[in-house]
Amino acid sequence: MEINILRQLERTAERFKDKNAYSDPEGSLSFGRLTELAKRLGSGLAEKLPPRSPAAVMTGRNIYTPAVFLGIVYAGCFYAPMDPAQPESRLKDILSVLMPQVLIADRENAETARRLGFEGELLIAEELFESDINEQRLSLIARSACADDPLYVIFTSGSTGKPKGVITSMMSLMTYIDAYQEVMGIGPEDVLGNQSPLDYIAAIRDIYLPVMTGASMFIIPKQYFMMPAELFRTMNEQRITAVGWSVSVFTIAVKLKAFKEARPEYLKKICFSGSVMPGATLRAWQDALPEAKFVNQYGPTECTASCTYHEIDHRVADDEEIPIGKPYRNYRVFLLNDDGTPTPQGEIGEICVAGPILALGYYNAPELSAKSFIQDPLNKAYNELIYKTGDHGRLREDGVLEFRGRKDRQIKHLGHRVELTEIDSAAMRIEGIEEACAMYLKEKELIFLFYTGTAAPKEIAVYLRGVLPGFMVPRKFERLDKMPKLPNGKISMQALKELMK
Amino acid sequence: MKEQLMEILEEIRPDVDFENEKQLITDSVLDSFDIVSLVGALNDEFDIDIQVGNLVPDNFNSIEGMMALIEKLQQED
Repeated sequence: MEINILRQLERTAERFKDKNAYSDPEGSLSFGRLTELAKRLGSGLAEKLPPRSPAAVMTGRNIYTPAVFLGIVYAGCFYAPMDPAQPESRLKDILSVLMPQVLIADRENAETARRLGFEGELLIAEELFESDINEQRLSLIARSACADDPLYVIFTSGSTGKPKGVITSMMSLMTYIDAYQEVMGIGPEDVLGNQSPLDYIAAIRDIYLPVMTGASMFIIPKQYFMMPAELFRTMNEQRITAVGWSVSVFTIAVKLKAFKEARPEYLKKICFSGSVMPGATLRAWQDALPEAKFVNQYGPTECTASCTYHEIDHRVADDEEIPIGKPYRNYRVFLLNDDGTPTPQGEIGEICVAGPILALGYYNAPELSAKSFIQDPLNKAYNELIYKTGDHGRLREDGVLEFRGRKDRQIKHLGHRVELTEIDSAAMRIEGIEEACAMYLKEKELIFLFYTGTAAPKEIAVYLRGVLPGFMVPRKFERLDKMPKLPNGKISMQALKELMK
Repeated sequence: MKEQLMEILEEIRPDVDFENEKQLITDSVLDSFDIVSLVGALNDEFDIDIQVGNLVPDNFNSIEGMMALIEKLQQED
């Protein structure tokens, strides 16, 4: 396995120079052109930014965004993608954690970038793509690169109200892509259909599988996922063979009766992740695509997108629970009890992960990192960090892992990780709210906000839209005269749970 | 009909100005989750059966588009 992304990119570009690496409805980038653009951007950026520095990126959902990412890697730096559609206050939060010297935006998003009051230098992607390639400088940078250099920082919901930036190294990324490629059997003949936002962790597969294998990737416009007829038509036009999508997309397609008129004819390799796949949804997809391979993937951003996978080997029943399976190659996954002792087979314990896929920690948050990435309590002999996922699991007799819910108030909603406490603290900043508690009704995929105070639902919804990503804004607002409390003064989640029914 | 429709839309997304937004889908004002809730609610309220082929941006970009779709489906019955 090659662990240097740029060497791998150049090798692939040599083999598949004129083949499309990335496409979207507006155009395509061949591997040759992709490498050229990345080198240009890298050469331009290297004049402004020393290696091993973060560069924030705010660009659109198009083929040039991965070229910006790879260009930053050519400069020896690492990227932190920011979705320009997020509320300004959240983008500012990300910048305040990252404190980058540069922010790279495309022309379309430059105005939004300027509004953020960013104190560093704002660079325009299109201008950097015009820089001359400085081979000498790039090879000097490449020669001093290390396998464990950071590759990206991806931000996720944080329980304190500030987003956490998970830092992943180049080696971790390549280890994961290699393991995923082995499981899914992706090769140069495949066309990947990208669904994940490019700033989100799940997109790393769509960006780096082409680099690794010579496969092509098509960026599917976001709105097609609400219009299944349009989605399937595009997938057939593009002859998409493989997807790695969030579970919610599969569910929505079934709810909208997508298979009534068409199906994605070329689709053969399907991975789903992000939340628990309902048996009935999977069954509907299996019925429509009986020849396709279906793989359930589980794992957090902190372990490079994943930990375990489970290939489905039979038609599932409507109420069947899909296991999360076995560790990917080079992932060590095991269960621990709260006291740090090993969980016996058949009992429930916390899912813990170790291996070269562990994140380097949370950016600019040493205390949080030290708390989350700890010495393996079972290893007294040498330094070995593990990540405790906060998820509960149970090991079956055949070595297959089952998912058994969360320890805390983190939920998975529409494929995104959401800390309910982050919603609480955002809501509490509204003047007319005294107490607030967000709850999740999993069966209906609805976030509720219970609150006391005088604020009207509309006012709360508008405010929260301005400070939280759309998927985190509650859909049901319930005003209470009094918050139900436990004897110790804490809010009774059990009582609120009853109110959601 | 418009009043009933507005009531449904307000319930699903109280923060959106449906009177003036004319690119609800194209500009990603509504997300797929909203569409699923909306399709279910419209089917129930207006006794129609929205098909996958009806799910195109024109039918959902604005309240006018939605009303036209509802009328069309009601007449088909």
